[in-house]
Amino acid sequence: MSILNVFNSPTTFALATCVMADRRRINGPPGGTRPAIYATSLPSIKDADRARRQRQPSELRKIFLKTGLIPSASGSSYLEFEPSASLAAARANPKSLIPPSSALKLACTVHGPKPLPRSVAFSPNIVLTTHVKYAPFAARKRKGHIRDASERDLGVHLETALRGAIIAERWPKSGLDITITIIEAEDDRWWGDAPDSHDASWGMMNVLAGCINAASAAIADAHIDCLDLVSGGVAALVTDNDGGAPQLMLDTDPAEHRSIVSACVVGYMPARDEITALWLKGGTSKAALDEQDGRSGHEALVDGAVDAARGAHMVLGEAVKESMERALGQTT
Amino acid sequence: MAAQQKASSASQTPHLSPAELSYLYTSLSLPQNPIRPDGRSPTQFRPLTAEPDILPGTNGSARIGFADGTQAVVGVKAEVEKTVLSADTLDASNLSQQQGDFAAQEGRDGREGAGSAAVAGHGSWVQVSIEIPGFRDDDALPVFLSEMMRESLVGSVAGGNDSSDEMAGGLKGRLVINKRWHWRLYIDSQGEEDPFFDDDWAVAEHLYPRGTTNSTVKLSSSVPQVRPPITLLVISVGENTIFDPSREEIAVADAVLAISVARDGGDKNLKLLSIRTIDPPSRLTQPAVPNSENVNALGATAPTEDVAVLNPATGEEEVPGVWRPRRGGVKRSVIAQMVKTVLKKGGVGEEVLEGLEGVEVE
Repeated sequence: MSILNVFNSPTTFALATCVMADRRRINGPPGGTRPAIYATSLPSIKDADRARRQRQPSELRKIFLKTGLIPSASGSSYLEFEPSASLAAARANPKSLIPPSSALKLACTVHGPKPLPRSVAFSPNIVLTTHVKYAPFAARKRKGHIRDASERDLGVHLETALRGAIIAERWPKSGLDITITIIEAEDDRWWGDAPDSHDASWGMMNVLAGCINAASAAIADAHIDCLDLVSGGVAALVTDNDGGAPQLMLDTDPAEHRSIVSACVVGYMPARDEITALWLKGGTSKAALDEQDGRSGHEALVDGAVDAARGAHMVLGEAVKESMERALGQTT
Repeated sequence: MAAQQKASSASQTPHLSPAELSYLYTSLSLPQNPIRPDGRSPTQFRPLTAEPDILPGTNGSARIGFADGTQAVVGVKAEVEKTVLSADTLDASNLSQQQGDFAAQEGRDGREGAGSAAVAGHGSWVQVSIEIPGFRDDDALPVFLSEMMRESLVGSVAGGNDSSDEMAGGLKGRLVINKRWHWRLYIDSQGEEDPFFDDDWAVAEHLYPRGTTNSTVKLSSSVPQVRPPITLLVISVGENTIFDPSREEIAVADAVLAISVARDGGDKNLKLLSIRTIDPPSRLTQPAVPNSENVNALGATAPTEDVAVLNPATGEEEVPGVWRPRRGGVKRSVIAQMVKTVLKKGGVGEEVLEGLEGVEVE
């Protein structure tokens, strides 16, 4: 018992997270090892192999969203983005072992509402906990077993997006756990590119939009009252040719663009026309907009993200309808 | 209270009763001229003191303090580290260079040319940690704050201002020494004494003197035109936009935004770097019960006394004077208004930056 206590005491845990060392597993080298590359193979990494966007600027990727796949959870969903054209082509006709881009896949489970443990103080509202974790194999660079700063940051963003929609006072003294496992993450850039000055974790924004969509489907699947289905959408200002002004594109796959100047993700409730979460990164002042467009760059970017979220909302509605039909079929 | 504290990224809210919350909300949401508890105007900041270079063991440091005793100390350390290009950053051009005259390039400054990681720097070379008493280092608030600061710092000049070559690539580019070595920057800040959410603002300002001391240490050339970014905390209450909110004001906010801005190159314009919504703690508060629904007050009031009216800002029916936790999000027009107040010429962002430029850095 005493040993157990030592391991469970918060100080030990805080210590372990503070140095961020995972001492319970035998982990591979944190940075990954670099495969041997022979000079003869070098011409194979060509700019021509770069993945390119085949969609219209305002065309979204298809979303696969299904609820209720995890029976032990009170609500669950699985979300997948359509693979880009280049990825589909590379799968059909493989030239290299390295896939040109990746497509987001994630699973979300909702546990609750469940009573809070006795040790927790009274809360008049539902206590929401969000937990976002990349699978170790989700990204090109391996992620550890302990959540790193970016994963916890995603969790905070997701919580902000969902809390605005959940009608929290209907479940006093209860908790709601939302756990998201990212099975395949989006790339931050084309894999052949080295990070440059425009570099940032752009893929995270698509992941967040996916998390918001999956989580609100799972919450609806768990029959938790919300003001509306929150849906996530991404828009970005991208420059594909050198020297051009950044163009506004919806639902960008960072692997398909040469450089992303700024990007924005929103959690949006179409019924109320309200934004529950907003995360905008990068300079927006140089955006190429129409002459008569009176909006500034960031406004256009937010509006673009809202349009993308509206698109995702339609998929969400269908998925929730399916979940409802299944629930009705079970009761009768 | 622990669970509730952890539950919000803007936590550590004061314990106010529903009646107090309602009073505060009503006075802050008065159309045109909100009444703040400390009598400030909506865009007025609290007086604050800042002094740079207080820690001899660091490469750059600063302390900032508000009049109410909130303060934060920041230390910056730079270490030389070997540049390792990991497998996911391999670049064709880079590779061909490497297998060519590697040794010949070693001594050369790698800042010429563009595109490779050794030239442009990497965001992970800047490491920010924030410690706030009462919070564990994996709680939402410190994680959120440090990511927010790192993001705006790293991204600050990523847009590339053509005016000075020295700042090409932004802060990240400055960390490059040559092809094989780079600086790693550790920014540690420590909130002290009565820490609350405003700390992020204070801390973000700390980065300002930090950036300048840093530039003098490392480049000692004439580049102080480029300033580090600042992050402003802005709340909206009703139709009003309020800057530098105190803890009590955040507790009733409809929406809380953290807006990072920086000077756009040499000119006086401001540019937006990032916006993040922060979970307003008003969503977690306890609701009040109107007399018409309260069994204990039956017959005590006339039925006409509490009639729900529509709050135009939130679109919810509310009985005046009866607090309800906020629900839902924020309208796009409100966000646009908040950003405009920060960015416009002679606006709040400019004012704060000018004030900070008055801080003496030798």
